[in-house]
Amino acid sequence: MWAMIVKEFRQLKRDRRTLAMLVVLPVLLLVIFGYAAKFEVSNIPTIVVGPQAEQVASQLQGPFQVVEVDPGAGKSFVESRLRDGKAVVGLVTGQRPLLALMDGTQLFAAQAAEGAFAHMARAAEASGVTPPAVTVQILFDPKLMSSWIMIPGLTGLILLFIGTLITSLGIVRERQSGTIEQLAVMPFRPWDVIFGKIVPYLLLASLDLTVIVGVGMLLFGVPFVGSVATFGLGALLFLLVTLGMGVLISTVSQNQGQAIQLAIMFVVPQVLMSGLIFPISSMAEAVRWIAYVLPLSWYIEISRGVMLKDTPVAALWEPLVVLAGMAVVVLGLAMLRFRRDLAPSARHGRVTAAQPEPVSP
Amino acid sequence: MAVLAETRGVAKHFGALSAVDSVDLAVSSGEVVGLLGSNGAGKTTLIRLLLGLLRPSGGETLLFGALPSMSTRRRVGYVPQTLGLYDDMTVQENWTFTAAAFGSARPALPESVRGSKDELVGSLPLGLQRRVAFAVAFSHNPELLVLDEPTSGVGPLSRARLWQDIRDSAEHGTGVLVSTHNMEEAEQCDRLVVMVDGRVAAEGAVADVIGSRTVVQVTCDDWRRAFAVLDADGLVVQVQGELLRVPGSPRQVEDLLAGHDLPAAVATVPANLEEAFVSVVSRGPRP
Amino acid sequence: MTWGLESASVRFGTRTALDRVTLRAEPSTVSVVVGGDGAGKSTLLRALVGLVPLSSGISRRPSKEEIGYVPATAGLYTDLTVEENLAFSGGAYGVVGSELAHRSTELLERIGLANARTRLGGQLSGGMRRKLAVAMALLHRPALLVLDEPTTGVDPVSRSELWRLISAAAAGGTAVVATTTYVDEAHRASTVTLLEQGRSISTGAPSEIVAAVAGKLGVVRSTAQPQGLSWRWGSSWRVWSPTDVLPEGAEPLQPGFEDAVIIACLADEQEVQPVGRAR
Repeated sequence: MWAMIVKEFRQLKRDRRTLAMLVVLPVLLLVIFGYAAKFEVSNIPTIVVGPQAEQVASQLQGPFQVVEVDPGAGKSFVESRLRDGKAVVGLVTGQRPLLALMDGTQLFAAQAAEGAFAHMARAAEASGVTPPAVTVQILFDPKLMSSWIMIPGLTGLILLFIGTLITSLGIVRERQSGTIEQLAVMPFRPWDVIFGKIVPYLLLASLDLTVIVGVGMLLFGVPFVGSVATFGLGALLFLLVTLGMGVLISTVSQNQGQAIQLAIMFVVPQVLMSGLIFPISSMAEAVRWIAYVLPLSWYIEISRGVMLKDTPVAALWEPLVVLAGMAVVVLGLAMLRFRRDLAPSARHGRVTAAQPEPVSP
Repeated sequence: MAVLAETRGVAKHFGALSAVDSVDLAVSSGEVVGLLGSNGAGKTTLIRLLLGLLRPSGGETLLFGALPSMSTRRRVGYVPQTLGLYDDMTVQENWTFTAAAFGSARPALPESVRGSKDELVGSLPLGLQRRVAFAVAFSHNPELLVLDEPTSGVGPLSRARLWQDIRDSAEHGTGVLVSTHNMEEAEQCDRLVVMVDGRVAAEGAVADVIGSRTVVQVTCDDWRRAFAVLDADGLVVQVQGELLRVPGSPRQVEDLLAGHDLPAAVATVPANLEEAFVSVVSRGPRP
Repeated sequence: MTWGLESASVRFGTRTALDRVTLRAEPSTVSVVVGGDGAGKSTLLRALVGLVPLSSGISRRPSKEEIGYVPATAGLYTDLTVEENLAFSGGAYGVVGSELAHRSTELLERIGLANARTRLGGQLSGGMRRKLAVAMALLHRPALLVLDEPTTGVDPVSRSELWRLISAAAAGGTAVVATTTYVDEAHRASTVTLLEQGRSISTGAPSEIVAAVAGKLGVVRSTAQPQGLSWRWGSSWRVWSPTDVLPEGAEPLQPGFEDAVIIACLADEQEVQPVGRAR
């Protein structure tokens, strides 16, 4: 197996395009998702309504920019204003606590507003004043995303990408050039070949994973509050599923083009429907089940839970068990199919008399 | 016999590399000329010069007495090694497409491939694919045919049948230039041209190319040891069953074997075409 | 120890790719399988090395450690250097360290690549690639060397170098099985098997195949195709009659090996399709 792994790394070293994909893609995704989600918002158009509108409006500081004050209006007026896009935040006074309505579709502005309220609260507390109670209600898109939420999901996307696309390409290349025939004849056990092909990608994926988490923490201040071991376990299980998928794709593809097509068919739905970008809870009930058959959904639950909320392993048993189950099924299926390519004579017992002679010394 | 295609001192340089160097070659009507040479000897470049696909760096190429042009293309048929057929079209569709490309009237498919006219080319066995490629190349009655490894990959019987097609068209006056690595194929040609490093190193009928070349044939009970002894001395030994064939002098071979106590019968026999070819190539182009 | 196949059949679904073929591979001999595209040559070799299960018959082969196999398509990694290719093959067969270094040097000198150790497999010419692939399969001194069309598309000089390499292995005790589409290469073998549509239509030493020719062979020097079973040879025709009567105008001819091969194919075709389908 060692000979396989050495060979695989030597080939990877020469394959500039794949190497570039392994390095550039994670960085690109990090920058796009990370920075895009970190846009500073300096002006938040705000309207203030209700009996104490004038008073509250005068107390608001940056980033809130009061665009309209109407003591005579109420909550429904604010809603229609937000819907029309005239403002992002609307404060309804005259009730305790204050009600802050936010436009969830204005993602970054709404995040900034949330942050600003929290900041105001802390500042007030520090100066010994009872903080003004504010109830925040987010309209239209109740689950706000942030780079904190994106980075854990992003690690999953990259594992998915390496596991599925790059692994299947690596194996199909071997099939296409015909060298897989030779591997099958060499004194490797089928497992040597299978693991020899998988281990390098497992190592590379782990490396990529570490780098992304590290960069995420340093650059974007993403916290990692939970247990590294739990996170590692979840990542390993998820990676096994994606590697298995990569091997499975390679066994049904005759060339790299076919492998890419199949990998895209496997990856794209996960990007869209796993809760990475759009929250699962915002999906229509009728299609929500799709999210639950996608391994990325479960991985994201684990990675967000561990990194951001310190969710204990006991509370994550469900996604862990689901991923473990998926890994066993997918990897098992992939191994069986791949093994059939490598040791066809062992396929079934129909061979009437074909037995190799004992080894002559 | 009219000369159909001719190169006069033609040369082609790619930068510092001289791929073809002052080559004179003529293909006449009704003649099958075999073009032999190692990889990189300049065969493909010479063919491309002859077809007018490359402009010579020196000398000239004449097709039907004129410089290659669009109008000479209609009179030439070319079958590349890759066949140049569309795998995902039927035999009939390939045929119709080529006829349209050459602007020829639409003659009926020849009998040799009519049986599979509605089958996809990609689904046919290679021997039949080659016959289709021939039929397509012959369809516009070319006066000059250029074939690159025309029977590569096919079985003995298919090869004989493909040569039947080649000979048939030669008998109708077509001049045929065959580029090949296959000695059996070379032996079927009327005349051979052997290229080495861009130059013509030998030419003539098979017997002319072999000339008076001989090899030493060794019959030895212990041919394995005999092989090992001669091979270790750097001789290019070829095994035929249990006979050994070695270029060189019989005395040298006898002495070597006697020095290792190997009783052997040593005889001088005429070289075959392959041995002659190897000898021509290893000696380099003639001065 | 004799390796080989005995009455081996391989079926893929309903298609019979190999039909009761027997092939013997003895130490120190070269067995050549001759056939065209689709004759079943690769399937036969794949069955011999255990890549394809037999549906019936017996396959005798040494353990994997003692087989060297070069498939028709590849045999080496184009993105590894000459040296790395050898090291990989060595690693697979447990040839490492000083033994690997020694054996690599020996083989590279033999195939004329001693100065190209760091060149990528993909940068080698077709002939060199094939030589390196065979050298990789020889690195561990296999008992059985199986080569699928080692010389297809290779120029005659490289071809004779390849055969010298193969013969040296045989002289050293290896049993060699090679396939080819070139009939003249069969001369190099101790035993030849002619394969047509998955069936072995003739087998034996080249001289035995010639001796087995039944009927009469004649040569007709005219441009018109003679009656009966005929084919072109150069500018004349060869005609074969399964009976002893040659058509008029045919001079009798002692068959050579190439003639014997074509006659065997024709006889087989007659047997399979007795109507004599015009092609």
